[in-house]
Amino acid sequence: MWLYEKKLEYPVNIRKKDLKMAKYLMAQYGGPDGELAASLRYLNQRYSMPDDKGRALLTDIGTEELAHIEIIAAMISQLTNGASIEELEKAGLGAHFVQHDHGLFPTDAASVPFTATYIETTGDYIADIESDMAAEQRARATYEHLMDLTNDKDLLGPLSFLRQREVVHYQRFKELRNYYLENKI
Amino acid sequence: MNKYGTQDYYNYMNNNYNQPLYNQQNFNNANANSSDLFDAYTGFISGNMFPDLYNAYKISNPLEIEPMNEQAELLTYIDALCFADIDLGLYLDLYPNDKNVISLYNKFREQKKQYEQEYESKFGPLFLSSDALNSYPWAWDNSPWPWQSK
Repeated sequence: MWLYEKKLEYPVNIRKKDLKMAKYLMAQYGGPDGELAASLRYLNQRYSMPDDKGRALLTDIGTEELAHIEIIAAMISQLTNGASIEELEKAGLGAHFVQHDHGLFPTDAASVPFTATYIETTGDYIADIESDMAAEQRARATYEHLMDLTNDKDLLGPLSFLRQREVVHYQRFKELRNYYLENKI
Repeated sequence: MNKYGTQDYYNYMNNNYNQPLYNQQNFNNANANSSDLFDAYTGFISGNMFPDLYNAYKISNPLEIEPMNEQAELLTYIDALCFADIDLGLYLDLYPNDKNVISLYNKFREQKKQYEQEYESKFGPLFLSSDALNSYPWAWDNSPWPWQSK
């Protein structure tokens, strides 16, 4: 089971409304390499890990990714708070408004809805872990693109934190993969 | 150096990632030395407790947390200690025999418990299992919720 802790893993306090960044951040909410996909990917794949190291690592990274969904959602929510319909339209969020008003909905930056195919579970743990390594790299690259698009420190703080977590997760998945290969597990 | 004056990730990959893994070095020999790790706050703002794995992009130094009130300040201590244990926990999942890191994990855990008690006595519960819920009226509903701007 999961327990809720009433705090973010990293604080989000955005002072300046920026609807374009809100739209771009959707990439990491409901996009193919976003945090929702990552959490569901690892939490589904953990059932086919061959030993306790793998079961523990995928459970814990999958759980951390749930906290990352919340960070991205907090950023989008604060960035769009109180935006007028005109402002939303100008930032390319007019279609979002039609279907979801100011509500959050998991799509990518181009408004393509989240799909379960992003979860990428094969049941082959080496294939799954290597796909996880690639996913962490793609997410790292996406965070770099997002960081390229803003100079607002209120956004760069959490984006930089989240990017660094991709670097660490990649490393841990790689170590797990190498451990399985070297020990013929 | 890239256009931002920070270390480019691909140089970083080539220079560092082909070295023996930080963790493999101590996997076979001694355990990770906890003095080689960041302190909890530095690790938290960096997003990484392991200096050897740290890799900057765009911003050359991690941004400081700037708490806007006492509640946010107290929460920053909890955030840092909570983060330190999340990151050490992932490491320990793979290296469960590392005594130094287990002892560091538990040191942070004890410190976090103390800050949590202080926070909850002043600002309400962080968990649905908190002692701070033995109060009237029901304290869980109180704002701010984590995603709300402070």
